Amino acid sequence: MDERILEFGALLRQHGLRISPAESLDALAALGQAGLGSRQVVKDVLRATMVKRSVDLPAFDELFDLYFSALGQAIREASEATGKSLSASAEDYQKLLEQLEAMLRGREQKLSEIAEALLRNDDGTLEKRLREAAERVRTGQQQGNRSFQEGQFAHALAQEIGLGEITRQLEELADQMEGQGLDPETERRLRELVKQRLADLAELLKRVARLEGDRGDPRRRDATKLAALAEKSFYYLSEEDIRRMQEAVTRLAQRLRHVVAIKRARAKRGSFDLQRTLRKNLQFGGVPFDVQLERRKKHRPQIVVLCDVSDSVRNVSRFMLQFVYSLQDLYSKVRSFIFVSDIGEVTRLFDDNEINQAIDLSLRGDVINVFAHSDFGRAFKTFHRDSLSAVNGRTTVIILGDARNNYNLAHEWVLRDVQRRAKQVIWLNPESRATWGFGDSEMDRYMPFCDVVEECRNLNQLYRVVDRMVLD
Amino acid sequence: MFESIDDVSRRFAEQKYICNRNIATVVYLAARMGKPILVEGPAGVGKTELAKVLSGALGEELIRLQCYEGLDEAKALYEWEYGKQLLYTQILKDKIGEVLAGTGTLAEAVDRISKQDGIFFSEKFILPRPLLRAIRSERQAVLLIDEIDKSDNEFEAFLLEILSDFQVSVPELGTISARHIPIVILTSNNSRELSDALKRRCLHLFIDFPSASHELEIIKLKVPELREALAEDVVAIVQSVRKLDLKKSPSISETLDWARALAILNVESLGEEIVTDTLATIFKHEGDIRKAQGEMRDFVARQKAKAPRPEGGANPDDKDVLH
Repeated sequence: MDERILEFGALLRQHGLRISPAESLDALAALGQAGLGSRQVVKDVLRATMVKRSVDLPAFDELFDLYFSALGQAIREASEATGKSLSASAEDYQKLLEQLEAMLRGREQKLSEIAEALLRNDDGTLEKRLREAAERVRTGQQQGNRSFQEGQFAHALAQEIGLGEITRQLEELADQMEGQGLDPETERRLRELVKQRLADLAELLKRVARLEGDRGDPRRRDATKLAALAEKSFYYLSEEDIRRMQEAVTRLAQRLRHVVAIKRARAKRGSFDLQRTLRKNLQFGGVPFDVQLERRKKHRPQIVVLCDVSDSVRNVSRFMLQFVYSLQDLYSKVRSFIFVSDIGEVTRLFDDNEINQAIDLSLRGDVINVFAHSDFGRAFKTFHRDSLSAVNGRTTVIILGDARNNYNLAHEWVLRDVQRRAKQVIWLNPESRATWGFGDSEMDRYMPFCDVVEECRNLNQLYRVVDRMVLD
Repeated sequence: MFESIDDVSRRFAEQKYICNRNIATVVYLAARMGKPILVEGPAGVGKTELAKVLSGALGEELIRLQCYEGLDEAKALYEWEYGKQLLYTQILKDKIGEVLAGTGTLAEAVDRISKQDGIFFSEKFILPRPLLRAIRSERQAVLLIDEIDKSDNEFEAFLLEILSDFQVSVPELGTISARHIPIVILTSNNSRELSDALKRRCLHLFIDFPSASHELEIIKLKVPELREALAEDVVAIVQSVRKLDLKKSPSISETLDWARALAILNVESLGEEIVTDTLATIFKHEGDIRKAQGEMRDFVARQKAKAPRPEGGANPDDKDVLH
């Protein structure tokens, strides 16, 4: 069991969940406490100990079902389907099973364990034996070639459980039904049942092989059910990307806070703190030599981000939105907007969704029309009209965009107003500095109203920008 | 202490808290493993309630620490009672004079008084705040740290230290270790991402909006005076409204408010008028009310179109349809 939990942890990690050894150990300890009573308990326990962010819950649920019960479910489904195909009602089927049971008890020859479990609908034993066999085949194969083939695996598995012997035993059983004094109808149905269960077993072996293949390679997983998850490993942002982005954003934000700290140190004011003064001056018999002032409340950085998602920056918009998402993830007072020629707020969208999904949703055009021609002037004007109240003396405004305005009016006066109200305005432009101001780039008009203007289109550049700003 | 997961469910039910298996499992684990629980989920699904019920079920004291921006150690852990210390020095002035009587030099006086200074920094003058109280408690306590996401990063780091060792060092007194490790419940509304270190120390519990049957059970338990058919309608409406894109989806507490309001108003069935009048109990934003109104109207219309219920004789809306 321990090994399976660790393996499951590795599977979760493959799908972008953060599972450290500490989490796996916790899971094991917790299972020791709660026991393996039922599937639901195991699932709850693993969820409580391994999943740390609520956005990861759906992925966890799906993977858990896939990993822990795909086989068990297949077995249950098979026995249910057989029951349905043979009889009209559940009681009827039950009676049939009882007759079979009576017959099995009367026989001298013993059936193999799997054959017995199959006929008695003992799903648990069946699952256990199949798993064990699969495990043995797997270890056997690993010494041989690494390439995996379902057919081969199914074949090896059939040999491992002795399918030939089981088939022989069951056929023999069917033959013996004659002369048992059963009425012909029951006899026919019993034969049918045995035959059907044999077919089920063959089907299950194939299923085990397929699951084995899925487990080996995340991209081969059942396409319809796991499309979303599998895609992740393809073009989605890797865990590493996200972590590095967060690091860069953290440093940027520290710098923003720094600016406040310096200003505050200069203005050393604050109201009289009675308690601290009393305590500090107890040593002087309560004579207030050393007056203590109230510590100022710390201000979290307030940020308003405007992110261009037009066609001209298509290749970097993922990166820019990732930056926006990280900002919002790490700091509470962030409002995010995206614009092309309209402007729309995505703060809630980013709050509610996981990073890749959030980025997809904003690029898909649900919030604003992303296929329009960029018009910075119009977007800025709309922002000025609707959302200028988001900007106050403590706000840092960050604009991400190339300032390619399709020769529309630049409306740079908006930026002037914003700069007047805000603590500072930072413009990060994904285009290289040499091209600014050429063609339809309005960078020259906007630049005078920004406190910091930097070129930035990937993580490495972002690092450099932040470094430079920290040094300033 | 709980004996099994079922025992948790049973004792919670005695406290009038219906919990699903998931919640019971996590609570059981927390009690057994001595790990804190971090509860997340939308506002109003009973995160804080969980801690109250847990303390009720165990029959132990609930110690609550409400977090907010700027919360510091002095408010969370302990403080010296300066006022009391000052007062005592004033009152004991004569006594101090006696103690110092007969000392020749200043150094001698200082020596003698320093032998006594332990008195003023003893447990008598310490004012325990929630964290210290939970640690010093005679019996195992339930410690609720509410809305941890509202506190600052610094406080989170400090909390981490307490939660891993369950001991506190007070410079004047030395280290105070927990007599009993309290059961800790942290709640978060996810207004900011908590540090990985804190998350790693906790068991995670995500409480979501309840399923329809679950919610109906809760209403029946908490507002037994509401007619069952009406309770079903209430649940159906709330469940469908949650699917809308609202600023603040109604949670269990809002559903209960609404159910209570309907019970107080002695409503027989949900007509359009009564729904509109009582909307304010489940929606907290003007925009949400406007958005939900359409949904509500549809629902009431559907109810009307349905065949009258068996006991529908007393139902004026159904009568209208019959005529």
